[in-house]
Amino acid sequence: MALDKIKRMFIELANIARFVGRFFKELFNPPFEFKEIIRQCYEVGWKSLPLISLTGFVVGFVFTNQSRPSLQEFGATSWLPALISIAIIRALAPLVTALISAGKVGSNIGAELGSMNVTEQIDAMEVSGTNPFKFLVVSRVIATTFMIPILTFYSAFVGLLGGFLNINQNENTSFLSYFYEVFDAVDFLDLFAMGFRSIIFGFTIGIVGCYQGYHSSKGTEGVGRAANWSVVMSMFLIFVEELLIVQILQGLRV
Amino acid sequence: MSKADNKRSIILGIFVLVGIGILFAAIFTLGGQQNRFAKKVEIKAVFDNVEGLKTGNNIWFSGVKIGIVKAVHFRDDRKVELVLGIDDKSHEYIRKNSTAKIGSDGLIGNKIIVIEGGSTDVPPVESGDELRTLKGTDTEKMMSTLQVNNENLVGITENIRQLSQKVLRGEGTIGAALTDSIMANNMRTMMASLTQAATNTNKVTAALANFTAKLNTQGSLANELLTDTVVYSNLRAAVAQLQGVTQTASALTTNLGQASEKLNTSLSSPDNTLGLLLSDKATATTIKQTMVNLEASTAKLDENMEALQHNFLLRGFFKKRDKEAAKAKEAEEKAQQ
Repeated sequence: MALDKIKRMFIELANIARFVGRFFKELFNPPFEFKEIIRQCYEVGWKSLPLISLTGFVVGFVFTNQSRPSLQEFGATSWLPALISIAIIRALAPLVTALISAGKVGSNIGAELGSMNVTEQIDAMEVSGTNPFKFLVVSRVIATTFMIPILTFYSAFVGLLGGFLNINQNENTSFLSYFYEVFDAVDFLDLFAMGFRSIIFGFTIGIVGCYQGYHSSKGTEGVGRAANWSVVMSMFLIFVEELLIVQILQGLRV
Repeated sequence: MSKADNKRSIILGIFVLVGIGILFAAIFTLGGQQNRFAKKVEIKAVFDNVEGLKTGNNIWFSGVKIGIVKAVHFRDDRKVELVLGIDDKSHEYIRKNSTAKIGSDGLIGNKIIVIEGGSTDVPPVESGDELRTLKGTDTEKMMSTLQVNNENLVGITENIRQLSQKVLRGEGTIGAALTDSIMANNMRTMMASLTQAATNTNKVTAALANFTAKLNTQGSLANELLTDTVVYSNLRAAVAQLQGVTQTASALTTNLGQASEKLNTSLSSPDNTLGLLLSDKATATTIKQTMVNLEASTAKLDENMEALQHNFLLRGFFKKRDKEAAKAKEAEEKAQQ
C-alpha cells in the first residue's frame, strides 16, 4: 500500500517534469496564439487589478500601523518609511500579489481546464486540429508569468501609498520626504529581486493551475479537486521559492 | 479582430504600460536619489578600523551627501582602504588637505564618511587622491564611560534609598525629627523658650551697651579705674594707709578709754589733788576762804604798787615810757599822710 503510494508519487513527479518540458518545447515552436495570449493577459492582469490594489493598499496601511509601536519604543518613528519600504519591496508586494493571484487566477485556471478536460473539450480541440496545449496551457502560463510582475509593481506602489497615508496621518510626513526615505532604504538589487521573484511566482501559478486542470480526473469531483489543488500547491511552492530566493539574495548582497 | 478584442488589447496595453512605468519611475528615482548614474570622482581613504562601514554608505561634506562608498577592501598592511565616489559637481569643494573620518547619522544609525576641513588655497581633489583620515568618536569607548557613570548612579541611588528608608523608619536624628511628634512638641517649646531667651538677651545686651558707654566716658572714676594704672596703684596705697590709720585710731581709742577710766577713778577718789578739789566739801570751803583772803591781799598789793609809782626812785622810768609812746604815735600819723 505504502509502496504503491510512493510509486504513484514518482509517477506524478515524472508527469509534472514532462509537462514543464512540454511547455518549454511548445513555447518556442510556432504558430503562436497571440490573440489567446492577449485575452489571457487581460483576464489575469486587468481583472485582478482591483483586488490586488485593494489588498496592497490595506497591507501597506495596516503594516505601517502595526509597526509603529515597536519603533515608537525607540522614538524612531521617523524610520517608518524606510521600514515600510524594505518590507513592501523586498517581501510583502511580491508575496501578497502572488498569493492573491494564486487564489483568484490559479483556481480559475484549474477549474476551467479541469471542466474542459471533464467535458472532453480538450480532446475535441485536438481532433479539430488546434494544439490544445499551445492554446490552453502556453497562453495561460505566459499570461501569469508576465502579468504577476506587473501586478506586483502596482501593489507595491499602492502599498507604499497606503503606508504614506498612515504615516501622513500620524507623523505628518510630506509626500516628497516620505518617498525620499522610501528610496533611500532600498537599492537596485531589491527592485530587480522583486521583479525576478514575481516572474517565478507567476510562472508557478500558471504551470500548477494548468497541470492540475489538464490532468484532472474525470467527473465533477475532479474539477473541484483541480481548482483546490492548484491553489494549495501554488501557494506552497511560492513559499518554498521565496525561501530559496531570499537565501540566494543574501548571498548576492554581501 | 472583433471590437471587444480591440478594446481588450487597448486596456491591456495601458495596464502593462502603466505597470512598467511604475518600475521605470522607481528605477530612475532610486538612481537619481542615490546618484548611481552621475559621474564620479574616485578618491581613497585608508583607515585602521571602519567600524562596520559598507559599500554604498553615504559620504557627507558639511552635512550634505556628496557621494557613496564604492568599495571597501584590505591593503597589504592590513589597513582598510575605501574607494569614495564623490559626485563630479561636488568634488571641487573638497580640497587635497581635507580630512575624512567615520561618523554615524545617529546614535544607532548607519555609518557614514564625514569629510571635513580643507583650505581654499589648496587645489581640489582629483581622481586617485588619498585623503588624510582621523579617528572618529569611538562608540565602544563612549559606552564604556557611560557604563561607569551608570554604576556610580546605581551606587548613589542605593545610598539615597537606604538613607530615605532610615528616615522613614525614624532612625537617626533627622528621622526622629521627622517622625516623632513628642519631640516635635518639645522642639516647639524649646523654640519658644529660645525666643524668650533671645529677647532677654537682647535687653541685657542693650543694658550692657548702655553701661559700657558710661564706662567709656572720659574722666569718670570708673573709666579711670579701668584705664589708668597710676590711679589704681595710688588707690591701693591709700587703702593700705587707711588701714594703718584705722588700726592706729583703734589703739588710740583704747588708750583713751583706759585714760578716761583712770581719770574717772582718780577724780572720784579724794586721795589726789583733783579728786579732792572736785569732791571734798571741806576743801572747797577752805579754797573759798583762801580766795577771799587772796582778793583782800591783792587789793592791798595794788595800793602798795600805787604808792611805789610815786616814789622818786621809780618816777623817772614812768615819765620816760610816756614820752616814747607819744613819739611812736606821731610817726604813725606821718606815715599815714
